[in-house]
Amino acid sequence: MGQPICTLIQNKKHSAHFVGPSSPDDSFSSPIGNTFSSPGDASGRRRRRRSTTPSTFASPPPPPSSRFAASSEGTPTPSRTRRNSTSGRRRAATPTSTDDAPPSSEGGEGFDMYEDRPTFVWGTNISVNDVKSAIVRFLKNFRNQPSQTSDGEFHLEGKYIDAIKRVLEIEGDSLDVNAHDVFDYDSDLYAKMVRYPLEVLAIFDIVLMEMVPLLEPLFEKHIQTRIYNLKTSTSMRNLNPSDIERMVSLKGMIIRCSSIIPEIREAIFRCLVCGYYSEPVPVEKGRITEPTVCLKEECQARNSMTLIHNRCRNDDLLTSPASKIRFTDKQIVRLQETPDEIPEGGTPHTVSLLMHDKLVDTGKPGDRVEVTGIYRAMTVRIGATQRTVKSLFKTYIDCLHIKKTDKSRMLVDDPMEVDNSTGGSTEDVLFDEKRVEELKELSKQPDIYDRLTRSLAPNIWELDDVKRGLLCQLFGGNALRLPSGASFRGDINILLVGDPGTSKSQLLQYIHKLAPRGIYTSGKGSSAVGLTAYVTKDPETGETVLESGALVLSDRGICCIDEFDKMSDNARSMLHEVMEQQTVSIAKAGIIATLNARTSVLACANPSGSRYNPRLSVIDNIHLPPTLLSRFDLIYLILDKADEQNDRRLAKHIVSLHFEDPESIQQDVLDLPTLIAYVSYARKHIHPQLSDEAAEELTRGYVELRRRGNFPGSSKKVITATPRQIESLLRLSEALARIRFSEVVEKHDVIEAFRLLEVAMQQSATDHSTGTIDMDLITTGISASERMRRESLLTATRNMIMEKMQLGGPSMRLLELLEELKKQSSGSGFHLNDLRNAVTTLASEGFVSLHGDTIKRV
Amino acid sequence: MVGLAYDCLANPLGAVRSTFEKSMSSGADPASFSGGDWGALDVFRNFLFDQDGLSQVPILDHKTVKWIQPYTLVRFRGMIQDMLGNEVYVGAYKDGTVWRTNKYLDFSQAPMDSSADMRIWERRLLYCVPVPGLNSWAESASEATIKRRMELTSQQREKRRRADDEAADDMDLVVSNDAIEGSPSAKKMREDGHPSDSTESQESISQGASSSASFQPNVDMDSLPCLVKIYDTPESDLKLNEIFEFIGVLTFDSQPQLDKDEFDDFENAFMGDALTTLPPSTEVPHLHCFIHRKLAIHDFLQSSPMLEPKPHMVKEIRETLLRHLTDVLGNDCLAAHFVLLHLLSKVQSRVDTLAVGKFSLNLTGLSKETVSVYGTQLSLAIKNLLPFSDYLPLTVGYLNAAPFSPKKDYETNRLITGRLQLAEGTHLIIDETTMGEGNLFSVGVDNTRLLKNLTELQKMEYDFKYYKMEMAADIQLLVLSEGKSCFCPADLVLPFQPTSVGSSEVSIEALDAWRWYLATLRSLPHSIDAEIQNVIENDLVEARRADRNLGTEGFSRLLTMGRLMCMSYGETSLSLEHWQMVKELERLRRERLQ
Repeated sequence: MGQPICTLIQNKKHSAHFVGPSSPDDSFSSPIGNTFSSPGDASGRRRRRRSTTPSTFASPPPPPSSRFAASSEGTPTPSRTRRNSTSGRRRAATPTSTDDAPPSSEGGEGFDMYEDRPTFVWGTNISVNDVKSAIVRFLKNFRNQPSQTSDGEFHLEGKYIDAIKRVLEIEGDSLDVNAHDVFDYDSDLYAKMVRYPLEVLAIFDIVLMEMVPLLEPLFEKHIQTRIYNLKTSTSMRNLNPSDIERMVSLKGMIIRCSSIIPEIREAIFRCLVCGYYSEPVPVEKGRITEPTVCLKEECQARNSMTLIHNRCRNDDLLTSPASKIRFTDKQIVRLQETPDEIPEGGTPHTVSLLMHDKLVDTGKPGDRVEVTGIYRAMTVRIGATQRTVKSLFKTYIDCLHIKKTDKSRMLVDDPMEVDNSTGGSTEDVLFDEKRVEELKELSKQPDIYDRLTRSLAPNIWELDDVKRGLLCQLFGGNALRLPSGASFRGDINILLVGDPGTSKSQLLQYIHKLAPRGIYTSGKGSSAVGLTAYVTKDPETGETVLESGALVLSDRGICCIDEFDKMSDNARSMLHEVMEQQTVSIAKAGIIATLNARTSVLACANPSGSRYNPRLSVIDNIHLPPTLLSRFDLIYLILDKADEQNDRRLAKHIVSLHFEDPESIQQDVLDLPTLIAYVSYARKHIHPQLSDEAAEELTRGYVELRRRGNFPGSSKKVITATPRQIESLLRLSEALARIRFSEVVEKHDVIEAFRLLEVAMQQSATDHSTGTIDMDLITTGISASERMRRESLLTATRNMIMEKMQLGGPSMRLLELLEELKKQSSGSGFHLNDLRNAVTTLASEGFVSLHGDTIKRV
Repeated sequence: MVGLAYDCLANPLGAVRSTFEKSMSSGADPASFSGGDWGALDVFRNFLFDQDGLSQVPILDHKTVKWIQPYTLVRFRGMIQDMLGNEVYVGAYKDGTVWRTNKYLDFSQAPMDSSADMRIWERRLLYCVPVPGLNSWAESASEATIKRRMELTSQQREKRRRADDEAADDMDLVVSNDAIEGSPSAKKMREDGHPSDSTESQESISQGASSSASFQPNVDMDSLPCLVKIYDTPESDLKLNEIFEFIGVLTFDSQPQLDKDEFDDFENAFMGDALTTLPPSTEVPHLHCFIHRKLAIHDFLQSSPMLEPKPHMVKEIRETLLRHLTDVLGNDCLAAHFVLLHLLSKVQSRVDTLAVGKFSLNLTGLSKETVSVYGTQLSLAIKNLLPFSDYLPLTVGYLNAAPFSPKKDYETNRLITGRLQLAEGTHLIIDETTMGEGNLFSVGVDNTRLLKNLTELQKMEYDFKYYKMEMAADIQLLVLSEGKSCFCPADLVLPFQPTSVGSSEVSIEALDAWRWYLATLRSLPHSIDAEIQNVIENDLVEARRADRNLGTEGFSRLLTMGRLMCMSYGETSLSLEHWQMVKELERLRRERLQ
């Protein structure tokens, strides 16, 4: 095995220079000696590089850290011949670079000592010293901002020196290194790291090991490097043999986790005959050879050695740290492609991940993660006892870093939670600058509002105002949380009520496809628990867990509910809480919880009589409880109005759909990915504030809306708008500003919001008997004029009864009373039902008594 | 071809090896073609297509599997039921100084030292099953080969056949002289060129003749799945639920495969995941595929009476088929018309969520009693007309019993098929008359939703536990129900009004003609003139003025009918005449609805 290891030891020794006089050489000598003396890997030369280098590199004293050792079954890579060329590479290695911060002179010294001995990573032309100094330079000198002016002295230290210090403070055991930083600082190092991750990471670890005592001499733990955020991310199905042994980055969803496997690193055997303890036997290629003969000279019993599982009980051996049995945690996790990566007509691919130590249990099934690791292959032997191997390989990823990613398609970040997120690293990855520029360019177009409207469900005709409303819903308003704890939702809820065949469902489907975390349910098929949450047995563990329902799952998304009218009342009542408080509270056996459900609800319903009956009131048509209706910001009545022009366009459209290539009928619209990117960028980065002018307009408009009830010629007071509406208006105007990527809500946004509300309101809240907007219709189900009519009927009836009937006198039939009333109040259309209602009211007052159809005054 | 050192049929691996050696000796480096082809495929292509060797390749099914030798060339026709991902294997390794290859093999033939120099290549695993709902007349093609192989040995007949072949310019459309010769099952199959004196042992041929198979319901056969290993194929070529023919080496193998529990712990942990859950080759044959091709419906036809659709012949066939359907449907001519259009339908394109071209049919007014007469007749008739069809009687118990959609089982890492995982172009009859009263539980509710989605969008939801994926489907749905079906909102609802009970005798020639008719016309291209387009638009606007209920779906339905109508005459451009017929049909239907 010779050279690479030797040189590394030398490196370590020279690094003592680098470290300085404070750290004694001895601190390294013992572990290295240990590893060095471990039985050599005589069987497979080609495996040596893999199995020994890392463990040699990364086996510093106390915590065992050969993170790759488990995989020592090894990969048969193309044989790499070790090129011992003495090319001038060392030149590059000497840290004489002209970086802003000059490298320490010690480093230079160290290298000089071994000047005539450039060492190379096994099988490559990468000089270990090269890489090492590059890493040292990177760690020492990399800074986030190339030039800092204000803070001066305090920030002279590099980003990673800071990071290492932080790790030391919290006694962590790993240092996260952003691969982008590596690339920015030294793209050559990055390339080497990706191509030869095992070697480069081992050097990384060594460098860290050397630097740590410098910063904190008493720190004993070993710090591992965890690389994340590679420049390129591979798709799982594109992994191919050429990626083996390279660093890759994958996205996927965890579907299975094995239980934690304690993996033995070093074993100690005891002789059953004489009680002799063997020297620690290290794991080789994933297996331990049990000594067949007791090594004690006097004993020499055959097959008497037994593995000691728990060495710590043995007191006298506790004292000698070198002979501890060592275990590490290991876990095998299966990762599956996320649905968006699967091409049409394919099934998801899966890949195994191998997790060690701290990575164990970082993810659980269902999590979407981004994994950085080394793609490796492992031979499969035909039998345990045979040397011959199958021609098959198992591939897996040796996991270096795991990052949970957001589950939503749009990766919406709720403004409320911004303060919780740590570090800015994940924020900007989503949208690279070019894309952002494109989107911004797009947003500057004057007709962007119309263009987006057009792009929304381009195959659904007309309904432009509905689409505008839906657009607002997609963009959403600002959620607000007051210090007092009160919160105002930013989500816009929309109800579509319409005749059959007005493509409501298609709109819903479309929004569902587009929306962040859209959940699509049908009212008919949804139960209350299916919408909120239910308790179930976890399929993996068998534990009882709380399973989220549709509304909770669409937290920060849009929950599309089709056939809202056909939903059971029970299920519908669950929506009350969700739509205003944006939470779901459940109290079930043993579990009382409040879950967030910050979801916009997009529901659609048929009118009660399947077609809209213009003679009935809107409420009668929609036939939904008014309490629920008032929670919708916009209620659209999609009525199928006869219009030949529209019909013709529809006909043309459908004919072309059937007889032309679907590709050829493209209009000037944004494609879906662009639209999604646009919406998600806006949701994430734009948080418009109300301008004074807009606020004024809002106030003015609201007052106007309220006043409109007092239409001329009537003294009736009709409430036209409620405070809920002003919230809706605010949300809508914010969404409209967002559409323009504007941080300020302008006056015209507010005007448009009013217009949208009115378009919806005029349709949905028009009192069929007065023709005015009547919010009471929505909130109580009875319009003001209707109330008036009832009032007058009641008075008339009361008067009539007073007039016609004596106390305790003969009873009267309802129909007679009706006749009398009709006679009296000339021609006003009283109905028997109205009268019955009135009489019932009187009866409840104790004025009359009602038995069947007979009324008696009491 | 001369000087072939190997027999492609009996020893395909010999061909693989010798071509490999040839390319190695000519200085190719195994590293340079990372798993790519080195010329072996050309040999097979040449053998199969240029030399017409395809017909000699036995078809692998549950009957032939008993006598086909491992490591011979076979073909398998089936639907891709599951994709098991990629497999990394040692493609080439150095045995001493010589490079050897493991391509198209499960195991390396020579014992391979783990330290040998090797190249790692990759292949894809597909789990294929025989096409669900394959009707016996389409299936019997494979038996025909064997039979022929036994029956016909005379050179003369072979020559005659070859002459026939040459007469047919398209391999797929071979004129049959043998139609009179016997049962349809024994009739010649499509690619059947000259039967060979097979090199295979035939001692154990054991299948019985399936006579008059065409009128038997499709009994539940022991289907034989097959694990196909695909090399060098872009992913987009092979999709789930598509029907393919794979030609390659069979390794129904016997190599003592030591069991998984003998692996040590570390390996076991990995093995538990995927590899051991691959069906072992002792249960499921493995096929290392050289060449694959997608099969269309007409590939399943036994014979083809015509080369191309000639208008008068098509019209004639259409008339006879319509008469047949009318008879089957108890003299309900209108229903027969719609069923004919329905049988021709397929999804032409998808625009957003819309599947253009689907034409599902709902025959209402059927009770349990009438279904047993007409439903059975109709289902039999369809079985005889289309290669894949299925019959699904709905009951509450059945709906609650098992999910219709395929579900991924992560324990075994397999996609467990569901009732509705059907191949493209399958015909499905849903019988709702058997539906009783009862409670639907979550599975049942799910299933009804799946049915609805399938009817409305032609999409099927596959359950991958952590998420669901929608897969496009193309299934002709015919719903039989008492009232308008609530589970499957079909495109067209027609009250069924039979007036007589009668069945028609059908000749085999007629059946063949009809099968050909349905298979061929279905894939005709289609266009429309600007003039007629204008007429249609006017008509639609007019119709909508008359009935406000007519919306997008209604328009779509009428246009689909127009297209199908014109298709049924073998024409590619919608004419006014056909449009008038559609309008007339629609009028008659509306009359019935009232």
